[in-house]
Amino acid sequence: MAGAVMLAATALAQGGAATSPPVAPASQATPAERSAADWLMRLHEASRRRTYIGTLVVTSGGSMASSRIWHVCDGQQQMERVESLSGAPRSTFRRNDEVITFSPQTKVAVAEKRESLGLFPNLLKAPDSAIDQFYSARAQGSERVAGLEADLVQLTPKDALRFGYRIWSEKKTGLVVKLQTLDAEGRVLEQVAFSELQLDAPVSMDKLTQMMRNTDGYTLEKTELVKTSAAAEGWQLKKPVPGFKPMSCYRRPAGAARAADTLVQWVFSDGLASVSLFIEPFDRRRHGAEGTMAMGATHTLVRRLAERPGQDGGWWLTAVGEVPAATLQAFAQGLERRK
Amino acid sequence: MTTHEMNERELVSALADGQLQGDDIARALALIERSEEARAYWHACHLVGDVLRAQELAADAARDAAFVARLRQRLQAEAPQPNLVTAIELVAVGADSERVEGQKNFKDPVANDASLRWKLVAGFASLAAVVAVGWQLVSQDGTAQGGAQLAQAGGEPAQVMLRDPRLDQLLAAHQQFGGTSALQMPAGFLRNATFERPAR
Repeated sequence: MAGAVMLAATALAQGGAATSPPVAPASQATPAERSAADWLMRLHEASRRRTYIGTLVVTSGGSMASSRIWHVCDGQQQMERVESLSGAPRSTFRRNDEVITFSPQTKVAVAEKRESLGLFPNLLKAPDSAIDQFYSARAQGSERVAGLEADLVQLTPKDALRFGYRIWSEKKTGLVVKLQTLDAEGRVLEQVAFSELQLDAPVSMDKLTQMMRNTDGYTLEKTELVKTSAAAEGWQLKKPVPGFKPMSCYRRPAGAARAADTLVQWVFSDGLASVSLFIEPFDRRRHGAEGTMAMGATHTLVRRLAERPGQDGGWWLTAVGEVPAATLQAFAQGLERRK
Repeated sequence: MTTHEMNERELVSALADGQLQGDDIARALALIERSEEARAYWHACHLVGDVLRAQELAADAARDAAFVARLRQRLQAEAPQPNLVTAIELVAVGADSERVEGQKNFKDPVANDASLRWKLVAGFASLAAVVAVGWQLVSQDGTAQGGAQLAQAGGEPAQVMLRDPRLDQLLAAHQQFGGTSALQMPAGFLRNATFERPAR
């Protein structure tokens, strides 16, 4: 698959800072024998090469959201426009890893650079990729989604620390048209699906670029982030959670009203699921009940850490991830203050 | 046709094509609201699009109006349900949502497809009243105090959906920089951009 190698090179060029692991040629597997990583590579490739317009519906934790999507790719550049159809009006534009979200009601436009988008497909290509080690893939025939024939593959976790996925990919293009996140009992926690999709629809990249640049009348905000490391911030994970590798660590202002406080975000991923550990100084006025919460597939754990009597209030941990609550507990138990 | 009319038609057409942003959308909607002509043109734009896509969708405008009129009649005939939203908010969390003993039943992959559909219906009904993202409490390690605001008093705290702006903020940050997943590019990014994100 020469295409895969080219893709990796393109992603590296776009990601910029991403480190380059040796690229192993993908196996020439038939659909029935594809590994989880092979499947994901095919899906990724499809999303990069296609131009389409569609309506996406997300159902999660009893609530629903939908949006209209325009996607265009000229082989090198990728652009996307996501127009929310539910909730507050919102337009999101993406050009490769640059993202800008317009909120017409507040007249605020938030610009971000999402380096995590450039990390792929290194996640899959890395020789120590956790995906095949922690998930098994099984083809489950085909079904129709949004009027299109789709291949169905199920990714089943090999332990209880992650969720399973069912992925429908359009037969000819490989484009993901439906995605479900499943718990250990096989119940659907969250679903993302196109209700309507026009493949190879006419989408003008010039027009999208023009719309993305047009921030007239909007207050442009940029998220201030400082790259750091967990060690520099005084944290370590004394007991790693199987499959989850540290990906990045940032320091960010904790909130507009309290710019002096900083918040550390330490990000882990097993290739499919990701976990963010948010750590900040404990504040009795703001931090109250400890506990675990769920919204669809996303779980959250809040807990007070490393309280040192007489010195300070310790720390406040908020762990967020598309993983079972037990996984977040494992992170919370393994986190240790070193300073 | 005057220049003025031309501009109005172009505006409506652009709205139908999804080419407008911000103020222009508001301007176009206001126009459609006050001008019968603009409304007719709006309908014509959709009709043209529908005909291009599928023959059977090319129904005439009177049919839509008749449907709305019938729906209105039926809604007026229905008995009011004052406690609807309250009932929807109190979605009980199954005690087994934390069970982690493995993939015993994984062979039946869509065990709750039907129940998902039920939740979806509930979601529709509550959407108008409760736009906020709700968190369900899974388990309680401590006593409830401060921080989280309970959306609904009474009943077991462990069965209540709650809303916490701070959590929403962190969730947004997680989606923004924590979405390190092989699924991020095909679907994850679109999912996050679609799902209600709290204002930052």
